[in-house]
Amino acid sequence: MMPTASGPTTRGIRSPRRGWFAAALVPALALVSAACGAAAPQTQSGGGASAGGGKLVVWDWHSGDATTKEYYAKAKSDFEAKHPGVQVEFVAQPYDQYYTLLGTAIQAGKGPDISMFNGGAQMRDRVSSLLPLDDKVGDLKDRLVGWDAFRKDSATYAVPVTLQGFPFYYNKAVYKKAGLDPETPPKTLTELQTTCAAIKKSGNACFNLGNKEGLGIEFFLSGFGPGVFSPAQYDAWLAGKRDWKSPEVKQIFDLWKKTNDEGWYNKGVNSTAMFMDQFTMFSGGKGGNVIGLISDTAHWKSFDEFLGPDLGVYKPPVSNPANVTSTFLPAEGGIGYGVMKWTKDPALAVDLVKSLASTDAEKSFFEKAGAIAADKTVDTKSVDVKAAGEIVSWLPDSKPLLHTALSAKTLDLMHRLSQQLISGDVTVDQVLTQLAASDK
Amino acid sequence: MRERGFGRWVVAIPMCLLALATIYPMVFTLNVAMKSRREYVLDRFSLADHLTAANIADAWNSSGLGRYTFNSVVVTAGSVALLLLLGSMAGYAFSQLTFRGRKWLFLVCLGALMIPFQVIMVPFFRVLGQIHLLDTHVGLILAYTGQFLPFTIFLMTSFYSRIPAEIVEAARVDGSTTLGVYRRIMLPLGRPALLSVGILNALFCWNDVLISLLVMQSEQHRTLMVGVTALRGQYSDNIPLFAGGVLVAALPVIAIYLFFQRQITDGVTAGSTKG
Repeated sequence: MMPTASGPTTRGIRSPRRGWFAAALVPALALVSAACGAAAPQTQSGGGASAGGGKLVVWDWHSGDATTKEYYAKAKSDFEAKHPGVQVEFVAQPYDQYYTLLGTAIQAGKGPDISMFNGGAQMRDRVSSLLPLDDKVGDLKDRLVGWDAFRKDSATYAVPVTLQGFPFYYNKAVYKKAGLDPETPPKTLTELQTTCAAIKKSGNACFNLGNKEGLGIEFFLSGFGPGVFSPAQYDAWLAGKRDWKSPEVKQIFDLWKKTNDEGWYNKGVNSTAMFMDQFTMFSGGKGGNVIGLISDTAHWKSFDEFLGPDLGVYKPPVSNPANVTSTFLPAEGGIGYGVMKWTKDPALAVDLVKSLASTDAEKSFFEKAGAIAADKTVDTKSVDVKAAGEIVSWLPDSKPLLHTALSAKTLDLMHRLSQQLISGDVTVDQVLTQLAASDK
Repeated sequence: MRERGFGRWVVAIPMCLLALATIYPMVFTLNVAMKSRREYVLDRFSLADHLTAANIADAWNSSGLGRYTFNSVVVTAGSVALLLLLGSMAGYAFSQLTFRGRKWLFLVCLGALMIPFQVIMVPFFRVLGQIHLLDTHVGLILAYTGQFLPFTIFLMTSFYSRIPAEIVEAARVDGSTTLGVYRRIMLPLGRPALLSVGILNALFCWNDVLISLLVMQSEQHRTLMVGVTALRGQYSDNIPLFAGGVLVAALPVIAIYLFFQRQITDGVTAGSTKG
């Protein structure tokens, strides 16, 4: 409303009473003053600690989860028993913003004392802000596995807590409905193709897939890779000698497109989120197979909750018999903890990392949260789920994942190209040319 | 003029579809929040069989949303109060006072509107750390004030520009000082705009995640939206719990919108027409 001389204007001038604004402002300012008081004393993240007092701050994306509460409680009590008077604060950050937030802290040189990392590219891109740990964690080397995912240029920058790997999970009830033997999962690509045709005929999706984030191709490459590459080619890929024009690489990308064209997947793959829609569909019985995880999500425990005895698991199928006669579970370090360079007492921070990787804590992570622990000494027999036992039995023969050997930049490109490949906007040859250029 | 006949339907049908597209996510969230996790996994689109408020209660009790709500209220109230005070003063100065460099200073304020927060994130974080305001309510209040002040100044300047100069001149003739004019004329006359700007800024502050995430680094100082976002963990699959948290966080915003929707609309269009 346009103010006029006879309206509120004159009233405002003639009676200078305290208006609504002042009434609102006074309590608000009082609240601010209270807030200033409430915020003191200030807790600064990354304040570090010295022996006998202080605080260590840990950033992660798990300490708020109900399933990991016991893990963190055990790690904390283990550490506090060794260092009375030193406080430990776990700060659960939203995973979506975790690396953005950490990146800002790193650029500003101020943040937590210890940070959680995914193995591979996410950690390797940030090693300049991490302390090398080789001379400090020698006593953990034999007990823990999965170190390679936390190394760069032969230096170790984080301690593995869980393993990461891509087994093929399947739903026995869906197999049964399709007239298949639920106790005999496919061992070769040919068998898998026959299986998929039968499942599709019975009205279900053969595989659940979500490629909205572009992550589907990572699972496909690392999942099918062991059945396509010869052992020598596999090792060469991990060592950085990657031939993007080889028939084997082409076979995997051809298969990515072909399986979609043959209708293996649920509808709308490029608009379906992998986390968690893809896995929710599988848990809900809406698919025969899924390439899942052994780490902290989409694993045997979460599927077992809904599928129970119908949950089965198998290793990657042999897709290229000329190269491969038997396959293995692709697995390596999953998540781990690194010590930030700016921490005031590195020895104390390393001790906390050791508590976070203690056998007692790791056992709880496995039993309650379902992640396969990176600790070889954890007794996995206490869990009565057949799929978990099988996965653990495959670990000694495992090799690292193919996709984590790539840089974050190449992975981003691969995500986008995988979507375009499915929608028919690019050819496999074009995809491989672009990836080869990015991976130089 | 009111549309009649065919023309009316041409307008009404797309509007209804638009309304449906807006309302459906809210209904979906409410429905999911009322489901058990098993129900959601088995069929996420079905209506909840046994309505339960357990997810909302869990989100509130076990995740510290009560404490986060207090933090959000404190920070939002403090920021809005400061924004209204500074924004109205600056708006008055830019619209009614004559001083050297006024135009350029106003352009600088407008220019700040075009800088995305992500661009200044690192220096912002560094400066706040250097002055020891990280992880404090005051730090976040100042951060919000800095971030949303250009918008507030823009709206208040637009609004105050519509006030006839004769009113200010009359007050001057009566012997009022510059501050007196601000207090006795600008504040009472600016009431509709201040209300709208206050509501909009309250919504901005309440809904923010990124700035709050950067400033409030300890869990005890976390704001509600960050607390709700953290409910998701890495790739948490307890979507009903997350939906419960979203509802808790959204209720105050929905209430504000329902009560003040007219003022919000007025605020958005303030200064868009003259005369």
